Amino acid sequence: MKNNHFSDLLPDYLDNMLSDSDKQKIEQHLSSCIQCKLELDEMKLLFNAFKSDNVSVPSERLSAKFEAALSQEKSAIPKVVSIAPKKEKSNWASNLLKVAASVALLVASFQVGRVIQSQKNNQELIVLQDESLQFKQAAMLSLMENQSASKRIQGVNYIEEFPNPDEAIVKALANRLLNDENDNVRLNAFEALSNFTASETVKAAFINALEKEKNPSIQVAIIKALVKIQEKKAIVPMQKLLEQEDTQPFIKKEITEGLPKII
Amino acid sequence: MKQLTLILFALVIGTSAKSQTDYAQSLSGIEWVKIESKSDIILKTHSSDELLIKGNRNSETSERAKGLKLVGEGGSDNTHVGFYVVQDGNTLIVKSLRKNDEGKIYLPKNQNISVKSTWHGDIEIDGFSGEIEADAELNGSVDILNINGPLTANALNGDVTVTFGKVKQDSPISIYTTNGAVDVTMPSNTPSDLAMNTTNGDIYTDFELKREEKNGLKSVSGRKVKATINNGGVNISLKSTNGNIYLRKK
Repeated sequence: MKNNHFSDLLPDYLDNMLSDSDKQKIEQHLSSCIQCKLELDEMKLLFNAFKSDNVSVPSERLSAKFEAALSQEKSAIPKVVSIAPKKEKSNWASNLLKVAASVALLVASFQVGRVIQSQKNNQELIVLQDESLQFKQAAMLSLMENQSASKRIQGVNYIEEFPNPDEAIVKALANRLLNDENDNVRLNAFEALSNFTASETVKAAFINALEKEKNPSIQVAIIKALVKIQEKKAIVPMQKLLEQEDTQPFIKKEITEGLPKII
Repeated sequence: MKQLTLILFALVIGTSAKSQTDYAQSLSGIEWVKIESKSDIILKTHSSDELLIKGNRNSETSERAKGLKLVGEGGSDNTHVGFYVVQDGNTLIVKSLRKNDEGKIYLPKNQNISVKSTWHGDIEIDGFSGEIEADAELNGSVDILNINGPLTANALNGDVTVTFGKVKQDSPISIYTTNGAVDVTMPSNTPSDLAMNTTNGDIYTDFELKREEKNGLKSVSGRKVKATINNGGVNISLKSTNGNIYLRKK
C-alpha cells in the first residue's frame, strides 16, 4: 500500500532537493491523495517547529570544555580512530596487496626453487665431473698397465686431462719412466712428468732415472730438465755419468755444459 | 707315366728337404710375437695363421757342428734353423741365435709384433695391420713400410723410416731416434695431433701445419713443433736428438 505513495521522497520535496520530474509527480500525487497531503502537512509542521525552535547555543566555557574533552577523547583513542577508517578505505587495496603478496610469494618460491635446483644441478655436475675425473684416472692407470706400448703411451698422454695430478698418477708415471721396457713409453712418461718438476716425487724420479737410464735420448732430456730446475742432488749422478766410458760423447758435453749452471 | 711319378717323387723330396730348412709354428692363442736378434730381421706377411722362419741356405748346420746344438744367450736352437722359440702365456718369444745371419720371418698380416735388434741388425717390416713395436737398440736402423699403426719405434744410431698406409686408430704413434733421422711418409688426409722435436737437428715437412696457439700468440720455436693437421686426431710424436725430422705427404 505504501508503495503507491511517495512518503520516502517527502522530506526531500520539502527541502526542494528533487528533480523537476519527481517534483511534478509528487505534486500530482498530492493533489489526489489525502493521506499523503496530511503527511506532508504534518511534516511541514515538524520542519517549521525545528526551524522555529531556538537552538540553545552553549556558553563559551561549555564549548571550550567540550572541545577540550573531545580532543582528550580523541587523543585517548587515536588508534581506533586511525585504524577503523583505514580498514574500510583500503578494502580493495588490501585485497590487491594480498594478491600481490601471493604473486610475490609464488615468484620468490619459484626463484628459490630454481636456485636450489640449479645448485643441485651444479652439485650433480661437480659429482659427475668428479666421477669422470676418477674414471679418467682409473682409465689412465689401467692403460698404463696395458700390454701394448702404444696403449701405455696413450695412458701416459692422459696426463693432459689433469691440471693438478694427484700423487697416485705422478707415482704411476714415475714408475713408467723408471721401469717400462719400451723406450718410447719411458720417453713419453718423462715428457709428461717434465711439466711437474716442482713435485719432489718427480725430482726424485728424475734423479733415479738418471742413474738407471741407458737410452741416450732420455738421458739427455733428463739432464736438460734437471739443469733447468737447478737440482743440486743431480750433481753426483751426473759426475758419475761423466766418468763412465760408455756414456755417449754428446751426453758428456751436455753434462759439462750443464753442471756449472747448477752450482 | 713313369716320368710323371718321377717328377712327383722329386717334388715330394724337394718339399721335405725344404721343410727341413724352414720352421713353422701355429699362432692360435698367441696375441704378441716378440722377436729379438743381434743381426738383421726381415718381417713379411703371409696368409696362413702360423709363424714361419725361412732358413738360409748357408745357415745349414756345418759338418763340424753335426750332432751339436746351437746355443745362444736366450736359449738353445729348438727349431733347427738357428732360432729359439718359446711360448710365454699369450706371447710367442722368438730369438735369433746367430750373430751375423739375417732371419726372414713370415707372420699373418694382423699379428701384433714387437721386434728388437740388440747390436748391429737392421729391422725391416712390411705390410702389417696389427700393432708394431720396433727397437733398434744400438747400431741398426728401422725400416717400416705399408703399415697403419699403432706404432712405437726407436733407434739409437740409425734412421727410422716409416711409410704409413691409412692412419685411423686412436692409440698414439711414437717414433724417435737419438743420432739418426726420422723420416715419415703418410697420406695427406691423415687427421693428427703432431708433436715434432729435435734438439740439434732440423724439421722438414710439406704438410700445412696449424700451429698451436697460446693466448693468441703463435709458437715460434723452431725446434719443438706442436701442430694439428686435418683438424686433429691420432697423437703422432716424432723426435730426434741429433738428427733431422722429415714428414712427407704420400
